[in-house]
Amino acid sequence: MPPIAKFNTLERERIFKNPSDKSFQTPALQELVAPHIESFNALMDFGNKTGLLDLALQDIGPKAVFDKKDGGLGNKLTFWVDEIMLSKPALPEKERYSTTRQIYPTEARERLNTYKGKMQAKLAWRVNDGPVVVETKDMGMVPVMIRSNRCNLEGAFPKELVRHHEESEEFGGYFLVNGIEKLIRLLIVPRRNHVIALIRPSFTNRGPTYSHYGTAIRCTRLDQTSQTNTVHYLTDGGSMLRFAWRKQEYLVPTMLILKALINTSDKEIFDHIMQGDMGNTFLTDRVELMLRSFKSYGLYTREQCLAYLGDKFRIVMNFPEDFTDIEVGEGILRKIILVHLKDNRDKFNLLIFMIRKVYALVAGECAPDNPDSPQHQEVLLGGFLYGSIIKEKIEDWLNAIKAQISQDVRRNVSGVDFMDNRYIGKVCKKLTGHQDIGAKMSYFLATGNLVSNTGLDLQQATGYTIVAEKLNFYRFLAHFRCIHRGSFFAELKTTTVRKLLPEAWGFLCPVHTPDGTPCGLLNHLSHTCKVITKPLDVSRVPAILAMLGVTQKFVPAHGEDTVVVQLDGRIVGYCSSKRAKEVADKLRQYKVSGEHKGAIPLDVELGYVPISNGGEYPGLYIFSTPARMMRPVRYLENGKTDMVGSFEQVYMEIACMDDEVRPGESTHQELAPTSMLSILANLTPFSDFNQSPRNMYQCQMGKQAMGTPATALKYRTDNKMYRLQTGQTPIVRPALHSQYGMDGFPNGMNAVVAVISYTGYDMEDAMILNKSSHERGFGYGLIYKSEIVDLGDFRVRGEPVLHHFGLGLDAPRAWREKLDRDGLPCIGVTLKEGDPLCAYIDDTTGKTSIKKYKGLEEAIVDEVRLLGTDNGEGELQKIHIKLRITRSPIIGDKFSSRHGQKGVCSQKWPAVDMPFSESGIQPDVIINPHAFPSRMTIGMFVESLAGKSGALHGIAQDATPFTYNENHTAADYFGEQLKAAGYNYHGNEPMYSGITGEEFKVDIYIGVVYYQRLRHMVSDKYQVRTTGPVHNLTMQPVKGRKRAGGIRFGEMERDSLLAHGVSFLLQDRLMNCSDYSLCTVCTKCGSITSSVSSSPGSSGNTSAGGLREVECRTCRTGAGIDQIALPYVFRYLATELMCMGIKVSLKTQP
Amino acid sequence: MDIYNNGGPEVSIRSLKKDSMKFVLSNTDLSVANALRRIMIAEVPTMAIDMVEIEMNTTVLTDEFIAHRLGMIPLTSFDVDRIQYTRDCTCTLYCPNCSVELTLHIKVSVDFEDMNDPTLDKTRQVTSMDLLSSDESVKPVSDDKAHPILIVKMRPGQELKLKCIAKKGVAKEHAKWSPVYGVAFEYDPYNKLRHSHYWIEEDEKLEWGVSPNAAEETPLDPNEPFDYNAKPDRFYFEVETSGCMKPEEVVLRAMTIMQDKLGGLQIKLDDEFKEDTQRWGY
Repeated sequence: MPPIAKFNTLERERIFKNPSDKSFQTPALQELVAPHIESFNALMDFGNKTGLLDLALQDIGPKAVFDKKDGGLGNKLTFWVDEIMLSKPALPEKERYSTTRQIYPTEARERLNTYKGKMQAKLAWRVNDGPVVVETKDMGMVPVMIRSNRCNLEGAFPKELVRHHEESEEFGGYFLVNGIEKLIRLLIVPRRNHVIALIRPSFTNRGPTYSHYGTAIRCTRLDQTSQTNTVHYLTDGGSMLRFAWRKQEYLVPTMLILKALINTSDKEIFDHIMQGDMGNTFLTDRVELMLRSFKSYGLYTREQCLAYLGDKFRIVMNFPEDFTDIEVGEGILRKIILVHLKDNRDKFNLLIFMIRKVYALVAGECAPDNPDSPQHQEVLLGGFLYGSIIKEKIEDWLNAIKAQISQDVRRNVSGVDFMDNRYIGKVCKKLTGHQDIGAKMSYFLATGNLVSNTGLDLQQATGYTIVAEKLNFYRFLAHFRCIHRGSFFAELKTTTVRKLLPEAWGFLCPVHTPDGTPCGLLNHLSHTCKVITKPLDVSRVPAILAMLGVTQKFVPAHGEDTVVVQLDGRIVGYCSSKRAKEVADKLRQYKVSGEHKGAIPLDVELGYVPISNGGEYPGLYIFSTPARMMRPVRYLENGKTDMVGSFEQVYMEIACMDDEVRPGESTHQELAPTSMLSILANLTPFSDFNQSPRNMYQCQMGKQAMGTPATALKYRTDNKMYRLQTGQTPIVRPALHSQYGMDGFPNGMNAVVAVISYTGYDMEDAMILNKSSHERGFGYGLIYKSEIVDLGDFRVRGEPVLHHFGLGLDAPRAWREKLDRDGLPCIGVTLKEGDPLCAYIDDTTGKTSIKKYKGLEEAIVDEVRLLGTDNGEGELQKIHIKLRITRSPIIGDKFSSRHGQKGVCSQKWPAVDMPFSESGIQPDVIINPHAFPSRMTIGMFVESLAGKSGALHGIAQDATPFTYNENHTAADYFGEQLKAAGYNYHGNEPMYSGITGEEFKVDIYIGVVYYQRLRHMVSDKYQVRTTGPVHNLTMQPVKGRKRAGGIRFGEMERDSLLAHGVSFLLQDRLMNCSDYSLCTVCTKCGSITSSVSSSPGSSGNTSAGGLREVECRTCRTGAGIDQIALPYVFRYLATELMCMGIKVSLKTQP
Repeated sequence: MDIYNNGGPEVSIRSLKKDSMKFVLSNTDLSVANALRRIMIAEVPTMAIDMVEIEMNTTVLTDEFIAHRLGMIPLTSFDVDRIQYTRDCTCTLYCPNCSVELTLHIKVSVDFEDMNDPTLDKTRQVTSMDLLSSDESVKPVSDDKAHPILIVKMRPGQELKLKCIAKKGVAKEHAKWSPVYGVAFEYDPYNKLRHSHYWIEEDEKLEWGVSPNAAEETPLDPNEPFDYNAKPDRFYFEVETSGCMKPEEVVLRAMTIMQDKLGGLQIKLDDEFKEDTQRWGY
């Protein structure tokens, strides 16, 4: 039995009238954007009362500069940022009129402003070991995420949200930049703190002896910035460590790093790499060679190695000048090498592990890891990225201060005095460009371009932000769940990155990806997939591991069967493979049941990789870091919900349906088979009945439907918004429809659909609309468009305001019909092309001017918004006019069902001529049966059945996929319902021709299907031209709909006319209707360029027709001049050729 | 079958309610029956709001949305014959001869005492009952006082003031002039004439229910030979009106219109015939 779906109309109305101040109606919606909001909140609060920005400041550390007094280095000025503060958006202090000082998002939205809070930094400095001076600096206004902990709507519930002109279920997660809703999109990045084995042909380009083998790790610091380290295998058996610093690549022998990390001996390194596997001669040979070849450097102690490193990297690293080479070397190890680890011994162990793994890869003992698989991927969260950009900008600022001071010192500028606090202030004043982080962040959000010196360990520089379009609610929602592979991969020729891999099960939706260029790169998270945003407390995990029999990391293990145990990329110990499995199982039990007082949080991932014959490198890898994708499944042992990550899932037994549980093997079961689908894919009714591409199409078309973009329409200023006036709740709806509150945002209407070939106008996916249905409001929609008039644009900087809105006495009568005395349009007035939009008076001329309405369609003035300045003073200079364009469905408009079955309306058929059933029902829509056989959208048939019985019984129908099976079919379930209502079991009905009244030879499939009206409308697309603008070089018609241009009659079209032999038509198209021109030709020399008109004044010899005398310049006579018709472009060609010294001569015949 | 020599068409009424009527039309041709259906749907004139002059609208709905909703409200039209089509009238735009004026003016007052009481529902439902007609015979259908037709919901402080011009028209032009919501039409419930071919998967009895109209006819005798000359002659109608006029009135008017049309056709044909006779002599 399917669950009972309900409309809950009265309940919804009650909640709508009295919004709650305690809870949300659809909490599920709030959870969907959690990755965005929580990652932003982490900037200020990442647990333990520190934020990511605090951690970033710690990582940046102090900078130092010297004044070079008394010959040496002189005084040392150390400076650093002590604290960074971001306040909630508030009015500027200059503003004196308001009582409440908070700014709410709606103001930014309506005023087309940026929703931003003030950022301040505490710049601290000291001279030598003197007292610390702290000064607070303004870092500009930084855009703030809506509903984050820096938004004034934080924690607000519907009642308050409605009070502040938001949607009642507003979930935020986006920024407002110049009134546009912008969103940092989720990106896929390599999984952090995990060593992956790679085979890349491009590795060999690094230099001679470089092979295509390597291991890489993307290490993440506490502040969520990352640094990638790669170990290359050289064909001579050695290995090199590669890293990038400030976009520059560096290659260092691994042995140098190993020896610099700790005080070690060749013996220790040998033992660690061998791990007791002395029989492995492949390994012994190479380790030996590596140790031997390093002797050529002549570096024996740790200090020597550090000093060597420090010497080479001193300039690059930009450390204080008084650092010794050893300190610089240590700094490199701290800042670049395996930065997720603090302890050098841990770094040493992990580097050994990387070397071991690369040798295993070369020896063929393990397979390369697939970086395109979600197993080795995690999510780059918007908030974290935002934080790392802020971090970099702060560091840039500090570096700029340092550079400025050292420049002053170098140039011996007077007034350089470290003891004088005013000098520091002066330096800062010169660097306001670097200091205004707010402007940089606004630029980042507005353009999506990353301006960075370090590249932030990312592969792209653009495309980080998207506009959260409110075309309809589906589209808006999908923006928050979309996840991109990175624009670097979009240019890749290979399609491997686009493949849907089994590892993506449950994390990325297999259905919801667009067709075409971004296919497979732009994915959507499945609706149950969560992204971890908070750090987990795993401090007690090592103790539990030791308790379960994992040996300590200090002891190199013995025997082949030993595997490594890692916690967030730190080697915790070793144990046998069998033990590792037991440990993993035990840990999972503890994790789900909460044993050991929750020492193992639920969101910890326990990736046990068993020993295999040439498979993935074995081990027990435990992850607790943020940005991982996790999803809930049922743990069969105790029936509780377990969270499963994309790494561990690969080696787990998760059953889907009940009958797939294999006793003893399956440990988990899916909560629901629909968990793997995204929200939009879940909203396709009976999608399990459809051919899969059709569900993909629906995911796209659902986002293009004219629907209800928002309920707070009055407070929105979007550039363009589509709205369906007669939206309905679908009768047939999946369970998630209500869970996500889709009833608040209707996206279509229930239509009676007959599948019949009736009028001949329903061929090729055309559909016929019942004229009466249309007249009763079926599919009636409208478009809101914004027009902004800013008189400030006319104003020259520094001049007083010279333009004022208003209608002077000189205004003609026609303007007064549309505009009020204040120069603004009257609400409800209809504007045609060329009508005045608003009027203003120019003080210099004293005359009234107007802004014209330029649209081709009639528009109605819906709202006029007067936009003030930030300080709330000054004269009105900017207005926002919302125009409404009505769009009643017309022939050529596009409609679609929810099964990827789109079509255009080809006729509005009179109701009396429509076929009708015995009960007098006439279809709203007729579609052709040919739409089905090749597309196999059986889901649409089932929806039709379900919709019909739902309408007959007055009930909502549940359409969750995977509810029915072979033993309990949907056709029977709804068939019985139809039978009970007195209808045919299969949904057929005898129908009669509306024209003759005769019964059709066959019965017709008729039912109720939810139809969407798509935003593609002929009114936006039709292109027609008779005469019009021409290109002034070729005299051919211009192209482009906007410019009233024509559609190109191209060479293929020409070919087909040639093939038909229709020469007159050819001439008509290509000459008469294009660039027909008359020109003179000299029949003697055949030139069309040499004929010149001798001026009538000089010869005084004009012919009777008023034509001027024309003569050929080369033949020096007018005798052979004749007039012919030519395409103008040919004359152009002739002149162009003449420029190149090529003569074109025409042989003319009368 | 010669319908004229057979006593003419017959109508037997099966049930008659306030807004619906079931009848059997027999002894006539399919074309006549279907013509009656088509005329009832599309050609019986009624009154409906055709023009709306909006003076003030501060409600949440747009002007054109309200105008459309007003147009869909059925108006009582039993006296529609009295009113002329505007196109036939001598006036320029509209006049009392060809139109009826309805006005609506609602201003929801703001009661500051109640403002902060969340339990009070301050929404004012503007319904068809708020439309005041200048003509007693043409006003919104209001049989069910408890559930009038909702036009718009208003909150305190909003105002709606408008004037509607109701005109006479037919549904051919716009669906709002249709006097009926649906016309059920059936003949030959047992499919004796084999006009149709029912799709059957396994068992006809289980899959196809029996039409309610089948009670009027004798069931199909499987032994009876197929009469390929038979023509449909019993037509089961059910007419449901919008309430603008009584169902029987709709049927009668439709028949009158059909007679008029046929009469017109006959006259034309006669004229033509006469002309031909004069010209050609036969």
